[in-house]
Amino acid sequence: MQAVIEQPGAVDEAIEAEAARAELDPADIGRVILPSKTLTAVERVGVYQGMYLLRMIEALEGDYPAVAHLLGADAFADLVTRFVAAHPSSSYTFNRLGRQFPEFLRVSRGVRGKAFAADLARLELAVTEVFDAPESPAWPVDAVAKRPTEAWPGSVLRPIAAFRLGAYAYPVNAYLQSVKDENHDHPEVGRKATYVAVWRKRYEVWRLDLSKPAHDFLRALVRGRPFGKAVASAARGLQGAPGEQLFRWLRDWVAEGMFEGVEGG
Amino acid sequence: MKPEARNRWGLPDLGIGIGLRTVHYPHILEKQPEVDFFEILSENYMDTGGRPLWVLDQVADRYPIVLHGVSLNIGSADPLDREHLSKLKTLAARTRAHWVSDHLCWTGVAGRNTHDLLPMPLTEEALRHVAARVRTVSDVLERPLVLENASTYAEFTSSSMPEWEFFGRLMEDADCGMLLDVNNVYVSAFNHGFDPETYVDAIDPTRVAQYHLAGHTNKGTHIVDTHNDHVIDAVWQLYRRSVARTGNVATLLEWDADIPAFDVVHAEALKARVHRRQEKAVAAAAS
Repeated sequence: MQAVIEQPGAVDEAIEAEAARAELDPADIGRVILPSKTLTAVERVGVYQGMYLLRMIEALEGDYPAVAHLLGADAFADLVTRFVAAHPSSSYTFNRLGRQFPEFLRVSRGVRGKAFAADLARLELAVTEVFDAPESPAWPVDAVAKRPTEAWPGSVLRPIAAFRLGAYAYPVNAYLQSVKDENHDHPEVGRKATYVAVWRKRYEVWRLDLSKPAHDFLRALVRGRPFGKAVASAARGLQGAPGEQLFRWLRDWVAEGMFEGVEGG
Repeated sequence: MKPEARNRWGLPDLGIGIGLRTVHYPHILEKQPEVDFFEILSENYMDTGGRPLWVLDQVADRYPIVLHGVSLNIGSADPLDREHLSKLKTLAARTRAHWVSDHLCWTGVAGRNTHDLLPMPLTEEALRHVAARVRTVSDVLERPLVLENASTYAEFTSSSMPEWEFFGRLMEDADCGMLLDVNNVYVSAFNHGFDPETYVDAIDPTRVAQYHLAGHTNKGTHIVDTHNDHVIDAVWQLYRRSVARTGNVATLLEWDADIPAFDVVHAEALKARVHRRQEKAVAAAAS
């Protein structure tokens, strides 16, 4: 029964699918399922089979609304059909269904604008992960000023669990925002390197576009590089007064609640 | 004062509740409406540490909570999912849940989850299999599991007993409770051609821990349990018939698609209170 339910298309086609036939010869369905007064045995299984993909599409549309919008209803449904055939749900929760969706999209064939869509999916996955990540208290902003100067070079900052940092080949954050705003004058989807931090503050998910130097500095910090080394590395890519700039960024990120604490120093 | 429930575990009649749904979070947090209890979909809160859990903690501080799951997969041939059970127990403790329910069904085999409530073959073998699993789950949860009758759209030729008999024997063998979904009885009765009154009359009233009510969609050839509309009169009548046997039992309205404003959902649920009062008056007059 499950092998039929998981097949796409009309139920008459579903019962003929290879996976379904491996479980039960279509001619034998009447020996397993009773007909009702109004439906044949196959039609009764079709009630379940017809709802299966709709449920999967709805679940993934919830996680990837901008990708769904970008591709359009038919192309998105087609993509989901292929995705769940390759990666059927194996968890008690729908939360885990879409984890491999960005990678599946990246290597899929026949998807128009695939590279942009795959990048967009990575950002939407980051948003979903941040939404559900464990809550951790943020490091208070006044702790930056209170920390002794001599402690900073060896300090390792610890990001909150609900934090993701991503580098993208397209302006995916601007596109996602235009979908959220229901603004259908979407930004150009041409190649352009972009950098986005996604984090949760007071149970709301926030996204911040970063410059490349800011991204590189923040990436070094969240990867556990000692503060002194991260600063030295980042300062080489900045002009003017890099120390001031880096300190401003750090203060802003701490104020936004991206870090939960600091170790070492 | 609420009449005492007649169930064998002394589970309280929590009154008239509704399902906690995301679209109603702002209304509930801001207005703090008078609601007897909320039922939550267990799986929606097991794998999140974010806003849903934050909202749930606030709701659980103010209202009685019951847990209702859709992925226990009690009827499957697959092993029970111990991670799921562990998280379910933790969630029940966190919310101080009055009871934990799921469905008599299977949701998948071979490690897969269709996320649907699939029908059971109602056989002696299935009965023994499910009863053993229910006992295991109750042991893990350290409380009697409560199981709901699902709406079904297909029946197996191998079934050797009607669903009400299967349920009755399961509850005896595994000492579990029943979440009697009166709408589901009506839906399955239409789809399979049995008398819904025969079903509710056959259920041991001391096993009924909770009622569910909901709207459905009649496709002509069959009815789909869509939870997208008001409860129809025939289902209300079936509810009254059952309440006459069980006494007042916690009753919950499910509305999961095309969800209207909170007040509309709550008003629909509160119709159950009127039916309960009328049924009590009828019973008093008869005695």
